[in-house]
Amino acid sequence: MLDALAQAYDLIAPVQGNNISFRRVESGSEVTLDYINPMLSAKSTFFPQTETLFRFSRDDSEEFGIEPAREPGRSQVIFGIRACDARSLRLMDMVFDGQHKDSYYLDRRKNTTLMGLACFDYLETCFCPTFGIDPASGEDVDILFSDVGDRFLVEAFTEKGTALLERFAEFFAELRGDEEQLREGRKAGLAGMKRLDVKGIADKMAQLYEGPYWDDIGTRCLGCGICTYLCPTCHCFDIADVSLDEGGERFRCWDSCMFPEFTLMVSGENPRPNQKARVQQRFFHKLKYFHDRNNELACVGCGRCVRHCPVNIDIAQIIDDVSSGKAGNE
Amino acid sequence: MKATSAELQTRVKDLFEDGTISHFIGYETGSDSLRVAPCFLEGSQEIGRLVWNPVCANNLAKYLLDFKNVPGRVGIMVKGCDSRSVVELLKENQIDRDRVFIVGVPCSGIVDREKLLQVMGISPTQVVAVQDEGDSFLVTLTDGEQRVDKEKVLRDECLVCRYPNPPVYDVLTGETVSRLPWVGDDYSMVKEQEALSLEEKATYWNRELSQCIRCYACRNICPVCTCSECIFDKKAPRWISKANDLSENLVYHLIRAFHVAGRCVDCGECERACPMNIPLRRLNKKVEKDMLELFNYTAGIDVEQQPPLTTYRVDDLDEFM
Repeated sequence: MLDALAQAYDLIAPVQGNNISFRRVESGSEVTLDYINPMLSAKSTFFPQTETLFRFSRDDSEEFGIEPAREPGRSQVIFGIRACDARSLRLMDMVFDGQHKDSYYLDRRKNTTLMGLACFDYLETCFCPTFGIDPASGEDVDILFSDVGDRFLVEAFTEKGTALLERFAEFFAELRGDEEQLREGRKAGLAGMKRLDVKGIADKMAQLYEGPYWDDIGTRCLGCGICTYLCPTCHCFDIADVSLDEGGERFRCWDSCMFPEFTLMVSGENPRPNQKARVQQRFFHKLKYFHDRNNELACVGCGRCVRHCPVNIDIAQIIDDVSSGKAGNE
Repeated sequence: MKATSAELQTRVKDLFEDGTISHFIGYETGSDSLRVAPCFLEGSQEIGRLVWNPVCANNLAKYLLDFKNVPGRVGIMVKGCDSRSVVELLKENQIDRDRVFIVGVPCSGIVDREKLLQVMGISPTQVVAVQDEGDSFLVTLTDGEQRVDKEKVLRDECLVCRYPNPPVYDVLTGETVSRLPWVGDDYSMVKEQEALSLEEKATYWNRELSQCIRCYACRNICPVCTCSECIFDKKAPRWISKANDLSENLVYHLIRAFHVAGRCVDCGECERACPMNIPLRRLNKKVEKDMLELFNYTAGIDVEQQPPLTTYRVDDLDEFM
């Protein structure tokens, strides 16, 4: 089926390289299913790390020409996306499909069918149930594959999903009737998943803007971009030009609130002058500001930042400290 | 006797109480038993947070820079490799020797988290503690104990470590470690690289460096990356584009590797931090080997020894001229 999908669409699926990441594949044999969650989320499929917005040129008459850099939107399929990453796209939609419509992102969203893979196991850093995500559900995908042992239970949740399943109907067999039961059985593997208390956390955060809680975390933070670049909901970017004599291009690329120059002004003033201010911004954005604007927390509990932070700054621990009041008592 | 957390706590408590130090940089237990977090103490009240065990991977020397302008004297615990980075910071006058108090901890190897989980076939939540037992680690699990050979689960840099004892310290906690029995050829991986053809090298590094996401964790965690403004961050002029592509990534990594020439002590922090598993030590070790062959120089041993790339000698090697 993946071979057929790769023929008909741009197929993006988890591939084993130095680590497992979503990549464009030409055939099903490149795809691995041996993962709980890929190292990089599927964010870059919609919001690439570097993306040319348009190209400009100058001819002998010194006239400027501008040409859009948009590729014609070929339909793509993402196979193997987990519930947390699928939810993160819904959160990113609130940014790119909000007051300002980002056509680069939205074109890709429109042209993409999400094929989810239900989780029946989890990593020690996973805590998606905290945000009302059921890791075995297909709430935010078009089609969900659930591995029920000797076969997959395949369900379509949207028109896009139904259409795709009809087009590839040859790969699917009739239900044998016990699939639901088998799936329920496999859900036992999810028992014991971390579910943190986030009730009223935005208000609790507001009380913590001042105070010593962030001092240690700020000192500990090295200011690298791992947490923001691995985060499926972080979406900040920078825009710059590359110009040569004959022309150039304007591109946008990921940026990170962890970097000092993120807020550096042309005057030399930096409103977030130290790492404490920057680290605070990251957690306030996730747990308060995004909530103020969109009524959702900007975390899906995928645990990537927790797993990869080299100095063990742990958002789950921070949520716990804030919710339990420990953060305010320090 | 290997140093224990309790021994360390007693030592540091005394240092606070007799007024030797005002701050202390150490480790505390992290999110699980295979992680630690750097911790910063301002007195002996919370001394119980301090731990020392075979998962204390972080090189804390980098944090000395953050305490440069903090009044008082800062204490820090250092393993062999960490102490060598302190030597480099001292050589470059980044820190003032009189304002730093160094608690050395001889180290006989740090656990590689991923290797341990894979070799033992366990999840981190099953681990209660890891103890150093000479040639092996005793791993206490939620349902019993298991012994695992160090050679199988040590961090790569620990497998070639020749400096388990801190060369510079004010006090030593625990007994010194004799030469680690498993230490093999420091440069076997460099020799493998050197044997490749130019095309093979290009293929190898193009594949690796095209995966870089430019999070700059390798630079930020590096104890000898001390510039207050890095050229890669400079806005005007911009030496390197923020666009992520292979050519920019190559420039970044090559400049970084050259910039740590004669200063890198192979603490392995860059490789540990890299989320994309890029084998950065291969670059660093090559430069380290060149420094040894060209200048007979090893970084981080002696504060008085002048770094070859910052000194001028009339009889310098100049075969490239």
